[in-house]
Amino acid sequence: MTNNNKKGRNRKESPSDMVNLMGNVEQKDDLTYNRRAFLKSAAGVSIALGLSTVPFSVRAMMGMAEDENERVEIAHMDQLPKGESLTFNYPTDNDPALLVHTMSGELVAYNSACTHLMCPVFYKKETDTLLCPCHKGYFDVNNGHPLEGPPQRELPMIHLEVDANTIYAVGRSYRHE
Amino acid sequence: MSKKKCWIIIFITIALNVVMVQWTVESYLGREYEKVLIFSAIGVVGAFIAFFAYLNWRKREYTQSSKD
Repeated sequence: MTNNNKKGRNRKESPSDMVNLMGNVEQKDDLTYNRRAFLKSAAGVSIALGLSTVPFSVRAMMGMAEDENERVEIAHMDQLPKGESLTFNYPTDNDPALLVHTMSGELVAYNSACTHLMCPVFYKKETDTLLCPCHKGYFDVNNGHPLEGPPQRELPMIHLEVDANTIYAVGRSYRHE
Repeated sequence: MSKKKCWIIIFITIALNVVMVQWTVESYLGREYEKVLIFSAIGVVGAFIAFFAYLNWRKREYTQSSKD
């Protein structure tokens, strides 16, 4: 193929046909997998990565309008002696949660879906910790932060109020100390 | 802007956008919606910068080749 039959970007510097003899090279691959194709792919990857954050911001804008601080009755104090726990759902029926009366006498509640892969978390009375048995993730019962295992984020904390011997869930914070 | 600078800019935007995707997902899962918007905006700006750097590189690359 002479230079005249080629597109501009594929022409060689020399007009000689001898320079363009490429019988021993897979010319199609040479034209497909090259420096230019690499840069095009790199630019495409960068653009795709940047735009892939957009669905999250759309969902975030939808989520910002939601108000979930509803007061919900969970249990009575006499149902929950020290070292015991019970499950409930908060703020919706799709959000499983765990109310714990710790060995030190405090009441704490967290959403019980493990922040690793959403397995349910249980209260382990013997060690006074929260355990995700799927991959052995441990959380501090006092603040919901991960202690061991694969989870990286804390469990969402549910704020509680005790009124006339009844325990209420009154709100939730996802990132907390 | 030279072709070399375009290459550098595109690779910097890849690194930036990888970090922004990671931070966006992390903030989204943590319900930190204000942060999601900030990181997402930076990611989109990074994508535009990469796109314009690519256009610039393409213009220079193929213009030079046709002259030859």
